[in-house]
Amino acid sequence: MADSFQHDLVALVPRLRRFALSLCGNRTDADDMVQAACEKALRNRAQFRDGTRMDSWMYRIIQTLWIDDRRRARTRGTAVDPELAALSDEGKAAALPGDRLMLVRVRSAMAALPEPQRAVLSLVAIEGLSYKEAAEVLDIPIGTVMSRLSRAREALLPQIGESGGRRQ
Amino acid sequence: MTNGGNTPGEGAALDRSLLAAFVDGALSPEEAAAVVMHLADHPQDQAYVDDLIAANEALAAAFSDPLHEPVPEAIRAAIMGDGATGDAPAGEGAGHPGPRHVIPFRPRRPSAVRIGWALALAASVAAVAVLVTGRPGPSDGRLLTVGPVGDRSDLARALAGLPALEPWTLADGQQIMVLATVRTADGRYCREVEIVDQAAARIETGIACTRADTGWTVDIALQEALQQDGEGDGFATASGAGPGSAGPGSLEQFLDQQGAGEVLSPEAEALAVGSGWTR
Repeated sequence: MADSFQHDLVALVPRLRRFALSLCGNRTDADDMVQAACEKALRNRAQFRDGTRMDSWMYRIIQTLWIDDRRRARTRGTAVDPELAALSDEGKAAALPGDRLMLVRVRSAMAALPEPQRAVLSLVAIEGLSYKEAAEVLDIPIGTVMSRLSRAREALLPQIGESGGRRQ
Repeated sequence: MTNGGNTPGEGAALDRSLLAAFVDGALSPEEAAAVVMHLADHPQDQAYVDDLIAANEALAAAFSDPLHEPVPEAIRAAIMGDGATGDAPAGEGAGHPGPRHVIPFRPRRPSAVRIGWALALAASVAAVAVLVTGRPGPSDGRLLTVGPVGDRSDLARALAGLPALEPWTLADGQQIMVLATVRTADGRYCREVEIVDQAAARIETGIACTRADTGWTVDIALQEALQQDGEGDGFATASGAGPGSAGPGSLEQFLDQQGAGEVLSPEAEALAVGSGWTR
C-alpha cells in the first residue's frame, strides 16, 4: 500500500527528469539518475521532514548523485547524446530545421557550461527556484548563486538569447 | 548588437545582475515595480531583459520533454515497490478514462476547495450539469469567455491584482475569486478563476494565462448551474481548450499540458503581482 510520500514522489518525477536531463544531457543517464535518486529518497525518508519541500530535497539528491557520477566519469569517459555529437559535424548541423537547430544549440551550450554553473542555471532558470532555494539545495551562499548565474548567462546569452537565437 | 555600454542621453543603465534578479523574481514588489518603470525608458536594458527571458524560454523548451511524458514504469515501480498497483486511476470520473500511466505533473488540488467555497455562500447548494449551447455573449452576463481579456474589465483587474482565495464582490453582485496561480513550463502565468452569480444561478470557472506582450487571455471556461435543491454529479461541459474537453478534469488537463508547476505561495504571488506579471 503506497502512502502519500510515495504518491508525492511520483508526482515530482517529470520535473526531476527535466532537471536531471539538463544536467547530464542524455535521456538514459537522466532517467537512471532519477531512479537512483528515488531509491535513495526511499531509503532516507526518515530524514525528510513533513511539510518541507520535497522538490528541493529531491533536487539536492539528484545533484549530489550527479556530482559523484561526474567524478567517476572523468576517469573513464562519458556517453554523449547523438544529437550533441551532430554539432561537431557542421554539415549535419546545417541540415537541421531552424527550431530543431536551436534546441540542439541550447543543449550543447548547457553541456559546455562548467558543472557548478549548469546546476545553478538549471535550478533558477528552468526549475524556477528562488536564489535562496537554489542556495539551500546546493549548500552554497546566495552570492555564489548569483555569480555563477551571471557567468553562465554571459556564456549562454550570445548563443541562445533573443539576438543569439535569431542568428543563423 | 548591444555592447552593454551607455548610449548618450539614455541615462544610467542598471547593473546586469539587478536585471537578472528582476527576471528571476528575486526583487521585492517595490523594487520590481521600479525596474519596470526604468525599463520603459531604457531600451538597451529592456533588450537585455528580453534576452534573459528568451534564454530562459529556450532552456525550458530544450529540456521539458519529460514534463509531457508519463512516469516511466521502472521509476514508478522503484517508488511504489515492485508489483504495487495501488495507484489511483488517472481519470477523474465521468468521461475521463485517460491513459493508465499518466500521473499529473502537479499534485492534484482537492476539488473540495472549489465546491466548499460555493457551499459557503448559500445554505444548501448543489452543482448540476448543464449543456452550454450557443456562443456566450455580453447579454448573458458571463465574464469568462475564451479569448483575450478586455483591458479595463473587472476580470482584468482581478487577474492583475487579486490575491488568491480573496473574494471580490462586483457592483452587480457577482463574486470573483482567484483560486490559484501557477507558472507554466515556459515561464508564463496561469490563474484559475471562479465567478459566482447568485442572481443568474451560475458558477463560472476557468483559466486565464499570460501571453508575451499581450496580457491575459482566457484559455478555458466552464459553467455550472447553481440550484437550491437536488443533486448532480458535478459534471459541466467546457468551452475552449480544444475538442473533447469536458468535465471537471478539463482544467487540470489543460494545466498539465502547459507543464504547470506548483501553486504559487502568497509571497511568490505577491511578487508576480508587484512586477505586473512581467517576471
